[in-house]
Amino acid sequence: MPITGVYFIPSNPNASTALQIITERLRAAFPDEELTPIGRWGLEQKLLRDTPGLLPASSNSNKKPPNPRYMQFLSLTHYPTHGFIYTSEPEKQTPAPNQNQGAQGPINAIAPDHSPSPPMVMTTIPPSSYGTLFQHFTYACQPFWTHRLTLAVPNGIVYEVGDFRVRLGDVRQTFPTARVRGTVVEIEWRGPSVVEAIPMDREDGSFGVGDGSSVDAEAAGIHLASSAIEESDIDAEYAATASLIREFWGRLGVEAREAILIPNVGMEVKDRLRRWKKAGSGVDTVDTRVDNAGSMIGERADEDPDPWSGADVARQFMEVLRFNR
Amino acid sequence: MHEQSLFASVPVHQHHELLQQLAGLTAMQPRHCLERRLIFKAYRKPGLAGRTGASQDLQQGDLQRLNKMLNGNMYYTQVIGPVSELDFGSTAPVDHDTQMAGMDDSKPSGSPSPSSYDYERQPWKLEFRDIPEAGTRSAVTSRLMSSATLPRGDVVQAMNAWGYHFTTEYVVEGDMFIHNDIAIFLHRVLHYPGDESSLPRRQLPALKDMTLFEKSGSYVLQAFIIVQDGSNQETMKTASQHLFGLREQLKSAVLLEQADRLSLDTRAK
Repeated sequence: MPITGVYFIPSNPNASTALQIITERLRAAFPDEELTPIGRWGLEQKLLRDTPGLLPASSNSNKKPPNPRYMQFLSLTHYPTHGFIYTSEPEKQTPAPNQNQGAQGPINAIAPDHSPSPPMVMTTIPPSSYGTLFQHFTYACQPFWTHRLTLAVPNGIVYEVGDFRVRLGDVRQTFPTARVRGTVVEIEWRGPSVVEAIPMDREDGSFGVGDGSSVDAEAAGIHLASSAIEESDIDAEYAATASLIREFWGRLGVEAREAILIPNVGMEVKDRLRRWKKAGSGVDTVDTRVDNAGSMIGERADEDPDPWSGADVARQFMEVLRFNR
Repeated sequence: MHEQSLFASVPVHQHHELLQQLAGLTAMQPRHCLERRLIFKAYRKPGLAGRTGASQDLQQGDLQRLNKMLNGNMYYTQVIGPVSELDFGSTAPVDHDTQMAGMDDSKPSGSPSPSSYDYERQPWKLEFRDIPEAGTRSAVTSRLMSSATLPRGDVVQAMNAWGYHFTTEYVVEGDMFIHNDIAIFLHRVLHYPGDESSLPRRQLPALKDMTLFEKSGSYVLQAFIIVQDGSNQETMKTASQHLFGLREQLKSAVLLEQADRLSLDTRAK
């Protein structure tokens, strides 16, 4: 999973898109690079919000408005094996207030306004189930989730600039009304990275060499034993790469909303490192059990070789595309 | 998607014979299956519904729409995962860290336990069924359904975030047959022994310790067809005709009929 950064330039009355400017600046900033598109990409995001957010804030109620909760569906053409669902965690369940303790504390207790929005839960699901789940929530969960907007990057362009891969595209809102939202840019670091040296775990929970994962490791030019990498190394790697991405973006001189080191970024990489270390410490974890029950409802076709790939960049896209609605 | 079904009750003494009849009819061996079924209930913060009456800032039309939405139905939904007989009564996979730390080399470490159930790798599907449609002229149970693959492992955190609370779980054991476009599932419900758990079990008890939900041990026969496009009247009609055809073929053995609509009500009160 490469380390990435995402930038968003909102459209303004003078310029609905920043696509032209960014392309020109890229050309100017990297005169030695041949700036030809190497591919296309696309994105679709659906944002749901919890229903309390729909109610108008009534002036005579003392209740502080609850923190809004979101559920975001995102699909990216460069991660075709799954869609991402990122959901605010429910508020901690407080024990049911005892009715008999009538005195409800000091009325003027000042509610902390700066309460952070609740943490989010990332889920990835196969493309075939992605639309089904979205329909499920809009049909069966109407009292608590409502579809607020759909955004799409229908026709993005991919450039390769030195050690970076740059994905550019205009963001269009398609629901509830069609309008232009701005321009989004993903910058992916393609150079050597410790993160790429962690092998992918296989279906049976073992860590293989010899399949696709080792190719990545070779491409990254790094061979390390599981004992040689610590979680702090991952953090350091993310921080170092973030500064490379910021430097790259800085050379373009375009003002934008940034999402790089946002909460939970790198979580899946650390999980994978933890599992790798655990698998490496044992003699073997070969599970010889025949999964004969799996054929009944878990179709093999649904099996995703790396369910967590792209989770970081998905978070970054969702961060910049979560418009306050 | 729509599911059209017919049901029959099968007493335990008839089970073996019916399995053979179905094997003959479908020209296939029964495919035995065991499924964990977790029941989740949709929830929302209390006191939200009906609160909209007091707000004056909304247009009348918006208010009606909002009220309709907030007072809409909420449902129970199931999360279903296939398991095998070996998963029951087995231990969790050995944690190598604790094993190493324990320095307990008294028993031969080369032989891993014969089988292990790893909850963290359990595949799951979200299976939603609406309450059966009312007032259909056709004599089959027809209900809106959806089925979506979820990530492996613990689904509770994601389900909680999505608005569902874990309620309880049970196991279904049965045999599946396929007959043209009809799936035939002869099954019964097993309960876990002991206390209710507030979370899905990470280990499964021995299969022999599971208790029958229906004390007599009788089975349910469900014959069903899944129709992709439920709005297409033609395919819906064809599907129910195929089910009636099967009912005729099995007439001498079992009586397939429509289920009582309210007994299949999935709405959460």
